[in-house]
Amino acid sequence: MEIRKFVFKRLIEIIVIFFVILTVLFLLFRLAPGDPVTRMVDPTMTPEDAAHLIAQLGLDQPIWLQYIYYLKNFFTGNFGISFHYGVTVFSIILNRLPNTILLFSTSILLSAFVGIFLGKIASWHKGEKTDTWMTLGALFCHTLFLPWLALIMIWIFGFNIGWFPLNGMISPEIWLDSSSGFWLKFLDVAHHMVLPLATLFLIHFGSYLLLMRSSMLDTLKEDYILTARAKGLEEKVIRNQHAAPNAALPVVTSVGISLAFSLSGGALTETVFSWPGIGRELVFAVSNSDYPLAQASFLLIATVVLISNLAVDVLYAYLDPRIKY
Amino acid sequence: MALLTVKNLSVGYHTRKGFLKSVQGVSFALDQGKSLGLVGESGCGKTTIGMALMGLLPDNASVTDGMILFEDQDLLKMSKKEIRQVRWKKVAMIFQAAMNALNPVHRVSEQISEAILAHDADISEKAAMKQVESLFDLVGIPLDRMRDYPHHYSGGMKQRAIIAMALACHPSLIIADEPTTALDVIVQDQILSAIKDFQNRLKISVIFISHDIAVVADICDNIGIMFAGQLVEYGRIEEVFDAPMHPYTKSLLASYLTLDKDVIQLNSYLGETPDLINPAKGCRFCERCSVAETTCSLMAPEWVEISPTHKALCYQCK
Amino acid sequence: MTENRSIQISNDNKRSPKKFPTVERFLEGWSVYKENLIGKIGLTLLVIFALMALCSFFPPLIDPMYHPMTGVDPDISHSTSPSWRHWLGTDFIGRDIFCQLLAGARIAFMVGISAAFMSIFLGTIIGMIAGYTGKVVDTLLMRLADMIMVMPTLLVVLILSSLFGQLNIWTIVLLIALFRWPGVSRVIRAQTLSLKERPFIEAAKVTGASHFRIIFRHIMPNVLPLSLLYMTFRVTSAIIIEAALAFLGFGDPSTVSWGMMLQWVWKTGHMFQAPYWLLPPGICISLLTLSFYMLGRAMEEVLDPRLRKEIAQE
Repeated sequence: MEIRKFVFKRLIEIIVIFFVILTVLFLLFRLAPGDPVTRMVDPTMTPEDAAHLIAQLGLDQPIWLQYIYYLKNFFTGNFGISFHYGVTVFSIILNRLPNTILLFSTSILLSAFVGIFLGKIASWHKGEKTDTWMTLGALFCHTLFLPWLALIMIWIFGFNIGWFPLNGMISPEIWLDSSSGFWLKFLDVAHHMVLPLATLFLIHFGSYLLLMRSSMLDTLKEDYILTARAKGLEEKVIRNQHAAPNAALPVVTSVGISLAFSLSGGALTETVFSWPGIGRELVFAVSNSDYPLAQASFLLIATVVLISNLAVDVLYAYLDPRIKY
Repeated sequence: MALLTVKNLSVGYHTRKGFLKSVQGVSFALDQGKSLGLVGESGCGKTTIGMALMGLLPDNASVTDGMILFEDQDLLKMSKKEIRQVRWKKVAMIFQAAMNALNPVHRVSEQISEAILAHDADISEKAAMKQVESLFDLVGIPLDRMRDYPHHYSGGMKQRAIIAMALACHPSLIIADEPTTALDVIVQDQILSAIKDFQNRLKISVIFISHDIAVVADICDNIGIMFAGQLVEYGRIEEVFDAPMHPYTKSLLASYLTLDKDVIQLNSYLGETPDLINPAKGCRFCERCSVAETTCSLMAPEWVEISPTHKALCYQCK
Repeated sequence: MTENRSIQISNDNKRSPKKFPTVERFLEGWSVYKENLIGKIGLTLLVIFALMALCSFFPPLIDPMYHPMTGVDPDISHSTSPSWRHWLGTDFIGRDIFCQLLAGARIAFMVGISAAFMSIFLGTIIGMIAGYTGKVVDTLLMRLADMIMVMPTLLVVLILSSLFGQLNIWTIVLLIALFRWPGVSRVIRAQTLSLKERPFIEAAKVTGASHFRIIFRHIMPNVLPLSLLYMTFRVTSAIIIEAALAFLGFGDPSTVSWGMMLQWVWKTGHMFQAPYWLLPPGICISLLTLSFYMLGRAMEEVLDPRLRKEIAQE
């Protein structure tokens, strides 16, 4: 199947899934016990503002009309007003989204690359000490409980050794100072990102390592590896150019499959490290019963998952010639 | 002087249930430009011999005896580096088309030029690609398919590509392991013609491994019949086909339907595959043999020379 | 080529085609399992945790101050380090941490196994139906599975808890099961699809067996080992999700789970001063997860003969 057709087909699927989620969320919020109006409209608002919002969200209309309003509002970016922050939900999530994307994509890319690289090496030294240590290490890290690991990291590296800040994404002093240049700000964010990134990395790289290792072991049994050996190629060449590209393909797929799990992990990490991202916002919103924000955050996270899935599918299609042409 | 001399080769595999003696005491010689067919049923050890010649035996295999003299050098005593240099440049292999012999993520032309570049330090990539083009011409694949991936090729085309790849470094010996299995008869015929063609033109020796005796008859000068890890009959094609001596050879030939005779009865042979972990003390073919006598099961048979070029491992052939 | 790539000695022609020789297979499986070091370690750890869970009933009987939830040491009202009276110290209001740990083991097993069992149950049935029926039903079910798989379970349960208020532990278990069945169903469906073509199914159809009977009497027994295998992996994810929920504060406030313990350490600001409180729950979660994982891997070897070391391969 041509790559464009493939991507198009996946895009349609994702759009359908998104609409289903959108609708389900709509129904949930309307049908859950309690008064939907108080869920969308801050009870502390003035009656005129409340009435205005109700009209805007269509809460006084029959349900099917509400659905139309809901869709319209969604596509115009009107998610209501956050109870907690008092500003539009849209402005909040706009502010938080880049932070999540920064942390999330960096951690996935890092875990995947390092995991694949180490898994390749582990498979090559199968049975030896290198392999045993790597496999055990990967397994150990993989089974660590993420929030707990996060707390330990903060405790050891933030509190005891003091190398890294305890939480947050930025140091207010640097960002408020108008003379701070771009690089200073960049380094500041990077400095804050080390611990959350390390936590996410440790939890996730293990599964990629183990998967790549077993994928390599399977690939090395394939006939074309025998051909490569018969051709008199060096083992290094066989490993890196013949086996690894084939072995890496299933791992790419697994990145897609585990995206949902990674995002949950991301939300937990953001919460513990007070990293101002969408995940943390969702948790806060739920704790504070800030329904508009909760709903929008969740939708956004769903969108991120779906788009990431699509990105992984496209990447896979690009890498595997059997799909490309 | 023979290009290849195999003397008393014995290979076995370490398995959980014991040491499986896959090849025992096999000896033969091959002159430059001549071809040999190794025929036998599954498990007789013919592929193991092919693998041993290429130095591609798996890790659980051991060569317990013998030597493989190629151009007067014992391949079994070579270091890994030396073997790598012999591989493909001197001895190449053609695998089954049904196998996944071509890497799915690399273009076919790249896989062939890779072999050329690996064995010739001086050649440029462009020159190597030119050679690939002439190879494609030689085996009859259209040049516009060069940059395709393996999954675009039909079975026959894949096999041709594999042949082209084997010829890439102008080896003196090619080991063809069941190259026509899993191909339909028409394509089979084409592939066999191709092999015969380059054999004649380029004077390359071929060891043709197959379970199909008819296919071998077409191409080879000499034939070796294998059973249960041993060579049981060896000779020139005409000799063995006209006057098969070993009972196993006779039954192999008799199992064939020919177009010029009426078929009275389909012959098939009885028995299970012989035990290679604890092989029988006497003749291994004993259980399935129709002319076996008591001596056969007690003592291992010795070679009987029927002519200077034809021998059989059997007491009953006179 | 097949000759030496993987030489295996098999008794194929001597084995009779029994459809579900359960006891025989179980014993054979056990002998393979026993040889696997990973499986043995996993099983040992699991037994230790199970003992912990069982022992969780005893301390409150010895002295009410050992009750994980309500028991407070009358002499202590803050977090203290380990002592003879409190082997792991006390939490911020004077409750014994060790007893909480034991209770947590009980909750972990309960949650893990129930949620896993429910999701396997759902997943197996749906997978079998999808694989067997095919076409529209299959497509619909698998699309549904896709949609559910895309969603991060933890976050979904979060959103649901915002709407329905504080969740009860069994509700949490049910929700976890509802969102974890798709993974199982895919595998079961694939297995069903391949089983569907086997001759013994044809035979059953020809003798007039109803679809229902075919599914439950013929397909299910062959699919169950796979289900059980996946159950071990589901247990780990259920435990982790419940722990994460509790950690964030959305767990059942009347249950003391390891996640809940971590939440208390965190929220009461003791994480820097009380390693005896911070470390044990996390270590337990990780070890329990590890042991189930090891169990699963060893079972994989039992169920998939290709992975066994009997067969000499490279």
